[in-house]
Amino acid sequence: MSAPVEVVLSADSAGQLFNCAVFDPHSGSEFLSYRGGNTSSRSLTVLNGEYILGAQLGKNFINVWEIQRKDQLQQKIVCPGIVTCLCASPDGLYVLAGIAEAIYLWEMSTGNLLAILSRHYQDVSCIRFTDDSSHFVSGGKDNLALIWNLSSVVQLDSSRTPEPCHILSRHSLPITDIHCGLMGPQARVATASLDQTVKVWEVSSGEMLLSVLFDVGIMSVTFDPCEYFLFCGGSDGNIFQVSLCSTSLSRDKTFQTDSDGNQVFKGHRNLVTCLSVSMDGTLLLSGSNDETVRMWDVQSKQCIWSINHKGHVTNAVIIPAPANMFLADSHPAVPLPRFSRHLNPSEQGDGTGSGGMCLRLGASTQEREGTYLEKADELYSLMCAVTDKSVFGDGENTKVRVSELEEEVKTLKKINKDLYEFSTQLLTKPN
Amino acid sequence: MKTKKQKRQGDFQKIQLKVGKKKPKADNATNVNFRSKAIHLPEQLKHADSGPTTHRQLDIKDLLSKLHHINSNIKQGALVGLRELLSAQPTLIELHASAVLSEVAALFTDKDGSVRAAAVRLLRFIAQCISAERVAPFFPLLSAHLTCAMTHISEAIQEDALRVLDVLLEHYPGLLSQRHTVLLTNFLELISQKRKAGTGQDKSGKGGFALTISTNRSVTAQQWRLTVLLRLGSFLQAVVEERPLEEGVTSMIGLGMWAGEKGSVTSVDVSWEEHVFGKGRIQVFENSGAVPTPHSTYRLRPDSKAVAGMNKELCSAETVQGFAGTLVPLMLEIWVEAAGGDRVQTDSGHLLSAEAMALMFQILTILQLLRRLTPQRDQQDILDAWFRNSYLTDFKHHFMKNFPYGLLEVARHRKKADGKRQQQVATGTVAGGNVEPLALNVTLCQVMVTLSLRGQDHVEAEDADWLGTIRVFIRETLSNGGKLSSKHLAALLEVVWRMIVTQRSRGEAGFLYFFFFNKGLLNLKCSFSLSFRSRILARWLASLPVQLVQLCSRNPQLSAQLLETIHPAAARGNKDLLQSLQKNACSIYDPQEGSVVVLPVESQKRLVQILHFLPTFPAELLACLSQVCNTGRVSASLATMLIRTIHLRSPLSGWSSSSQDVPVKDVDYLSFFFTTLTGFSSEMLQALQDTDEDGLMPSSTLSPLSVFTTTLEQFLHHWDVVEEVCHCLDTLGSRAQCFDVIQNAIIKNLCGLVVVPDCVCAAILRCVPRLLDVNFLPSDTLLHFLSDCCLSMLSLLLQLEQSARKRDAVWEACFAAMSTVPRLLRLVLQSLHVGDLCEEELPVLAQILSLLLQHTQLRNHMMANASLLQHIIQDLTHFYGGETREQWLTDLLYCYSVTLSGHRANMGMRDIY
Repeated sequence: MSAPVEVVLSADSAGQLFNCAVFDPHSGSEFLSYRGGNTSSRSLTVLNGEYILGAQLGKNFINVWEIQRKDQLQQKIVCPGIVTCLCASPDGLYVLAGIAEAIYLWEMSTGNLLAILSRHYQDVSCIRFTDDSSHFVSGGKDNLALIWNLSSVVQLDSSRTPEPCHILSRHSLPITDIHCGLMGPQARVATASLDQTVKVWEVSSGEMLLSVLFDVGIMSVTFDPCEYFLFCGGSDGNIFQVSLCSTSLSRDKTFQTDSDGNQVFKGHRNLVTCLSVSMDGTLLLSGSNDETVRMWDVQSKQCIWSINHKGHVTNAVIIPAPANMFLADSHPAVPLPRFSRHLNPSEQGDGTGSGGMCLRLGASTQEREGTYLEKADELYSLMCAVTDKSVFGDGENTKVRVSELEEEVKTLKKINKDLYEFSTQLLTKPN
Repeated sequence: MKTKKQKRQGDFQKIQLKVGKKKPKADNATNVNFRSKAIHLPEQLKHADSGPTTHRQLDIKDLLSKLHHINSNIKQGALVGLRELLSAQPTLIELHASAVLSEVAALFTDKDGSVRAAAVRLLRFIAQCISAERVAPFFPLLSAHLTCAMTHISEAIQEDALRVLDVLLEHYPGLLSQRHTVLLTNFLELISQKRKAGTGQDKSGKGGFALTISTNRSVTAQQWRLTVLLRLGSFLQAVVEERPLEEGVTSMIGLGMWAGEKGSVTSVDVSWEEHVFGKGRIQVFENSGAVPTPHSTYRLRPDSKAVAGMNKELCSAETVQGFAGTLVPLMLEIWVEAAGGDRVQTDSGHLLSAEAMALMFQILTILQLLRRLTPQRDQQDILDAWFRNSYLTDFKHHFMKNFPYGLLEVARHRKKADGKRQQQVATGTVAGGNVEPLALNVTLCQVMVTLSLRGQDHVEAEDADWLGTIRVFIRETLSNGGKLSSKHLAALLEVVWRMIVTQRSRGEAGFLYFFFFNKGLLNLKCSFSLSFRSRILARWLASLPVQLVQLCSRNPQLSAQLLETIHPAAARGNKDLLQSLQKNACSIYDPQEGSVVVLPVESQKRLVQILHFLPTFPAELLACLSQVCNTGRVSASLATMLIRTIHLRSPLSGWSSSSQDVPVKDVDYLSFFFTTLTGFSSEMLQALQDTDEDGLMPSSTLSPLSVFTTTLEQFLHHWDVVEEVCHCLDTLGSRAQCFDVIQNAIIKNLCGLVVVPDCVCAAILRCVPRLLDVNFLPSDTLLHFLSDCCLSMLSLLLQLEQSARKRDAVWEACFAAMSTVPRLLRLVLQSLHVGDLCEEELPVLAQILSLLLQHTQLRNHMMANASLLQHIIQDLTHFYGGETREQWLTDLLYCYSVTLSGHRANMGMRDIY
């Protein structure tokens, strides 16, 4: 059997059979399972394709497995409090954990705790990175979602407390889920909330682009990679598919099923807690509190397979298959450091980071550089310059082009003159 | 012969005339008994084929030419005709705008009053039809004529010029405000005249103008000034509002800092079809177009037209100073006259007539507007300082002398005496007619407070006296009444804010501020921006729920504002607020008079959302909430939302991850859901047992329970609620245990009742099959009760004509119950004792049976009880003694045979294979 491209990773709250398990996205057959403990919701993450991290439900530690050694718990990272959500950056350099109302940021290379962000007023319910690890979005039970710039958070200057770039404060009940689209800092973010809405925002500006109102509270949300559709898991077990290509211009709309894209996947009997779409946008994975994980065909809205779990499904996600997962004798390239529990390791004096050096950006480099759109503009003008030169570079072509344009100017002038004469005639005519 | 002679005599009879008798009329006398009339041709016979005409067949050219006629009646007629023509043919306005406008404008200065009035009417009509952009080219002409009229020697024309100004202000404030240089001096000249050069010099402090008093006006000088000042006020308002807002000008008023950052978002519309093949690139705006790119120099139209000119002229402090320098002394004089007119001093304040009050109010408004004329912050400060230097003593002397002003009530009887004159004034002073003394006083405070300077110690002492008066006034106003309108409150707030900014004595100001907090005025942004006062803030927040309870439904806007503050604070877990909220929760969510039922829908929704953040839900609160859901004073969707909230907060729902705190105890949770399910509290049910209402259907053999029919509305509301309850209970972890609990609750609370409301029956019948676990055997008591319910509902079903929805709901519930629990069907059938029935009930029974038989999915279950069924039908035919076969019996037998044969056929098929 050739190694699959994508795999399904799921976990439930009971943890009787396994803590988390890996399934084939097409058949639903189980590949691997990782044992020991259970994982709380939105806190299962794959670090760098080499480790699986999952926060223990109701306890203050994080379980870590090496991805190829499925049976053996590699390490327990003890945290200052119960971890409510966990997220590793896609480049594998940082790990974020929501602990009560604070967000903790660890650097993976040294295990240092770089920052504690306490801007939320209540428990953090969800954290997501953008795909280029430059920003992250956190949502809490205080109805707020915050967009942070990672580089401004890890800055060296400790006198300035890091501030989020944008505060999204339009939800009126706790935020349940966040999904970040592709395209790095130009991505769009969808936030789901118990106030029965899903809102789509722009990361770069923090503007709300769309708000969709449903009949029920929404527990989970995701896009497909092309952002054609928005999938929203309701608290009544339905999954709502909202078409994002519709031509209506209003920012606020109410969800109604219709023929062009806005439809409902029916099958779950309880809260849909997690949603994920495959890379090609054809498969939708959903996990629910009715203890099943279902795979749906997006096109036909049919359930392809479903797997029963022993408890509420807390995490279910489709991920690209990590290279090491099916090679039993492989080793992680980087050993996992010990995670520091305090902000300043030097004051601690236990010398954990001996030999390591912490690299952070100085505060001065944080000053505004050109925005991404400006950069894109520049790039475009460069490209235009190149094509201009190559197309209109030689003298012959230019002459032809110039004569063409002169011709056109002449005709235009003539038309203009006619128009003028006609109108003067019309105006000066004695009525 | 004789006869011939006689005949001749008859022909030439002589009539004798006698004295005293009337002389008979001669036969050939001319009758002069007629009247002649001149022939008048108001309309032409010929049809003008060149265009539309009025009903007098005059086309627009005729009418326009008639405007030059010497006779004023004809001019007036032409104006009326123009109005008629233009209203009939609106397209003509666009075509002839220039001609019409110039001709009409020329008539502003006509010497005949009726012509002017007609001209103003026509102008008003035209202004409604033409937009400001289209009038712009003709506006210089219009304003020139207006200026001409305003400065006219005839006073009647001056008065009418103000009417013209009204029209223009209403429709073209932007255009008019560009003409301010001329107009402002015109205003001055309306109420005053230039001093002679000699006298102007020696009183240089008083400015170059002196008030005029003309004796031959139709109104008093005071009324005239009021009308002029009103117009001046609205004109300045237009100037201020029409100014293009520049960046960083948002803080024009003191409240600017609270305006918040509500970035208006302009959407970028891109039609992809155009760009798919085109080479043109799409301009994408940074920040989704919310903020335009600063680099763009492209302008659609150069803003050369007088906007730039105005910026040059009216934005700088110097120009405003120049104008104010002449205007303010005049206004002070007017003030003195108004205040001096009738001086009645009582302890409640200085009493004024309504007219004087309106005048004073206008003066203050104009003073405020003058200050706002300069948009830039620094310029404003310069202006403030200038005002202070030049006029503080005057203001203090005149304005503050009699500060709290009151309205003189005794002025009533005088009105009757010269009612006619009053009426004339009323037309001129529509807006300024009645000014509350409170508005006057508040505006005065605003004006005065702007004069107090920021952060300078030495001036504080000298300001102390009049600021003290203001402070006393504010405190009294706030303490003795909730009658303040929101506008006044905002104004007062601004005053207080300004005082805090300028004054160093924070203690005093802080007290005032706390007062305001107590009034629940400030929105959240301001309160959080003032978080340095955290102790006060906490106390204030904690007092909000109490206020909400006290407010009840008296002031929905204020309640909405309170909720707007409470909601985010609760969401952010503010401890003080949550404690207070918890304490008052029962009264807020009271089903009878709590805020949740009396407030409008938006606030109700917010209240339900706030519920989500409550730390705990004690049993009493849940009882309240359950009643709120069922009394029907909140909509079904809100009730659904409420139920969902409670469901989510309970640990049973499996959503909230933190296990240490349990907001909803499981016992309370289940009892809440059961109470909501039944929709009637135990007391109400108990009370129902004894009532003797007409909604009651007596119990009989066919309907073992006596059913209390609820109204359709209540039934449907409850039906929606039950749907949600079932759904929530359905998603609980252990179905068997859950059902066990529900079963016990039903047995304990409902079995044994004699009178049962129909919605309760339907709810029970609905929820039992939905919650029933396949492996769970329901108890006999429950099943008996259910069968009673079922039978009662079925017989109710047959009597229901009122609503298809209700009938469908009832039938759905019965059917679902019977098809899910086959034993229930058997019990129902067993309880049908045909022998006990009276004659009239037989058809009903037959109908019930045929209904059951007709249902395809129920058929198999019916067949399982075939023998029982056969027995019943035999009894039925036996007891029915009638000779003729009735329709119902035929129907029943037909249904029975069809069902039976179908069943047999099935059996047969099965046998074959």
